[in-house]
Amino acid sequence: MEDRLKKALIEIVGEKNYNDSLIDMVSYSYDASEYTHRPSCGVWPQTVEHVSEILKLANKEEMPVIPRGGATGLTGMAIPLKGGIVLDLNHMNRIKKISIEDRLVVVEPGVVYDDLARAIAPYGFFFPPDPASSQVCTLGGNVATNAGGVRGAKYGTTRDYVLGLQVVLPDGRIMKTGSQCIKSVSGYDLTKLFVGSEGTLGVVTEITLKINPMTTASTTALGTFDDVEDAGRAVSQVMHSGILPAVLEILGKEAIMAINQNTDLNLPEVDAILLSETDGYTQEETDYQMSKVLEVFKANNAKEIKQAQSKDEAAGLWAARKSAYAVLARLKTHQVLEDVTVPMSRLAEALKGIQEISKKHNIMIATYGHAGDGNLHPQFVYDGYDQDQVKAKRAASDDLFRMAIELGGTLTGEHGIGMQKARYMCWEHDDVAMDVMRSIKRMVDPKNILNPGKMALDEG
Amino acid sequence: MRDNMEAKYDFERKFRDQVLQCSRCGFCQSVCPVFGATLRPAYNARGKMLLLKEVMDGTLDLNDELIETLFQCTTCGACAENCPSGVEVPEIIKQARKDMVHIGSCHPAFTGMNKVLKEHDNIYAEDEPEDFERERNGKAEYVFFIGCVGSYREDERTTATLDLLDYLEVDYTLIDEVCCSGVLEDVGHPINEKHVRTNIDLIMATGAKTVITGCPYCSRTFNNKKQYAELKEKGVKCIHLSQFLKDIDIGFKTDKKVTYHDPCDLGRHCGIYEEPRDTIRKIAPNFVEMRHHHEKALCCGAGGGVRGAYAANSIAMARRRLEEAEEAGAEVLLTECNSCVHNLANAKLRKQKLKIYTTTEFINLLREED
Repeated sequence: MEDRLKKALIEIVGEKNYNDSLIDMVSYSYDASEYTHRPSCGVWPQTVEHVSEILKLANKEEMPVIPRGGATGLTGMAIPLKGGIVLDLNHMNRIKKISIEDRLVVVEPGVVYDDLARAIAPYGFFFPPDPASSQVCTLGGNVATNAGGVRGAKYGTTRDYVLGLQVVLPDGRIMKTGSQCIKSVSGYDLTKLFVGSEGTLGVVTEITLKINPMTTASTTALGTFDDVEDAGRAVSQVMHSGILPAVLEILGKEAIMAINQNTDLNLPEVDAILLSETDGYTQEETDYQMSKVLEVFKANNAKEIKQAQSKDEAAGLWAARKSAYAVLARLKTHQVLEDVTVPMSRLAEALKGIQEISKKHNIMIATYGHAGDGNLHPQFVYDGYDQDQVKAKRAASDDLFRMAIELGGTLTGEHGIGMQKARYMCWEHDDVAMDVMRSIKRMVDPKNILNPGKMALDEG
Repeated sequence: MRDNMEAKYDFERKFRDQVLQCSRCGFCQSVCPVFGATLRPAYNARGKMLLLKEVMDGTLDLNDELIETLFQCTTCGACAENCPSGVEVPEIIKQARKDMVHIGSCHPAFTGMNKVLKEHDNIYAEDEPEDFERERNGKAEYVFFIGCVGSYREDERTTATLDLLDYLEVDYTLIDEVCCSGVLEDVGHPINEKHVRTNIDLIMATGAKTVITGCPYCSRTFNNKKQYAELKEKGVKCIHLSQFLKDIDIGFKTDKKVTYHDPCDLGRHCGIYEEPRDTIRKIAPNFVEMRHHHEKALCCGAGGGVRGAYAANSIAMARRRLEEAEEAGAEVLLTECNSCVHNLANAKLRKQKLKIYTTTEFINLLREED
């Protein structure tokens, strides 16, 4: 970092909010993905004005700026690939407004998901899209990735709850999008353009989120399957049976075994387990919904059906499910978690296909995920210090994405593109779509300072 | 990138797989007290593991620039407790600190601590211990081992504890104790064998079969450090005061709303959660838990040498803990560790009405009011 730029940044945010020490540069060079690249400095803006001034300066100097929240992203979208300034938004972490009357909250981007959940729970409200990283991830990050969670099939993803944003554009202008209304069709939907834009178009400094009343009853159960294709068919049938479970998750054999190694749950080590939760307002209602789900499980050769007998037992199962990614990480030195998503009717084929890809390339792919919305999490577990395994992993990834697209699916259901899937963008999107995306990027960020090198926007 | 090269440091030889096991999920960020107080990812366990990974990869070397994070860890163990990947962060940090000291990189506060314990018999370099007006080095059923903080910084609380033990007619003696010196191993230095010898000899001379410690850290040191194994071999058991008190009918009560702070050294590191609560519930039926408790308790910020080396952040951590006690509506915050009570009391703002005591000090207060 040149001295004069350092001075200019310190003038904006103050000395204590500027950092270029080695330890910080190393920590800012990673997120939860496999990538790394060091930035030149980190700044901790406290206000939207700070963000605006930083971007004005960076734009003038053509310095990359990489917005960063909890850095739990899995695709490398918070990696400062071209160096530059890491804009650490953790310090903008105020919940500015809770309006139960209007069913909304207004938050700064650094608010951690669980902190919002805790703040609105006493009112009987919740914010449905809950990523497995809810204890760490920030709402700004959730907006940037359009994060999902286990309740996607019934409750949707972050995009479905963002009513409006305050965004700082790369030239420093501050823009308000959307409204505080539950409905609005006023003009182009700029809000939705920024949700999922991965920090490539603007820096979100304020978020208005719709919140939902909490349900008061739930039923949790699991079914075991000796054949993963049976489990896939069961999921498709549940989803068109007329019942909409709040959660319908799948755990493949490798994930089950890893969880068993690290908990005392003793899950049956079958080919697949489906884990479901129905929610509503009376126990009778949720039990009825679950009985319908379990009927479908049985009709598709479920071997064993087990209903959680207590809230604690159910909580144990969900905690285990949330830990799947990290417990699998214990097995080898490297892991990459994908999130291909397919239409519900093709789920069984996708599950079978992943097993075949794993066998063909002789690489471990543990699969789990949000089966209820067709969103699978194949997790590659391998030794990244072994070049043969690195090659096999890359070839297997190619096959995985090819298969997903052939099945009418998408590269990513909730993690985003980042660096990891940039090279597959043109497999899913045709030339016209890529051209429109790149044109939007060029129009909003002509000097390409915001999070450069992501989403294949720089190419072509 | 370095691959399969011979390990340069002991942390790598012992913990290579553990460091690589970190999946970078960042869950530690939600519980790390240093991150909580500073919001700086370089201080979090993930930040530390990434630095060590780069050292193993050969893209970075251990040097003075790493002191600020590797020595700024309270070793509270909350990260390891919350780590789905099973990374034993405090053990790795302690080993990395030893490697740092070995190459001459150490926080001056810890170099100083090692020097002080070479020249003095307590971590504060004090010459005259508080007298406490009790028998020392006598023959008794129990040895009461106070610890440095209780002897030199929180002596009034210790006096209250001793008054309570007297009231309960416990047959104990104090000894001319010296620092257990366990903390040295946490900050990169070897345990002080001379002090170990002094303590063991003094304890054995009393004929006591049980040592009761006022400090959870001393108790941990006596039970877990191999240098103190002789005590166990010679039939001397070591327990913390809270374990001793749990079966005693105290007989005093308060209707105040009381909460309990789990010291990391007693809770996460020794698994002692219920004994203190059993005692407190007996005296304070109006007991409430804070948001983080038991295994998930938030660290007070004093441990791992952080209070001495990074005082401002240490106090900031204690303030966060006090906010949780206030959030729970507690009028009284009890804990079982002089180090915690010292830091929490120092961090308390004048406007905060909450009272902070050790459990025994509070019981003695109830006795005096009775």
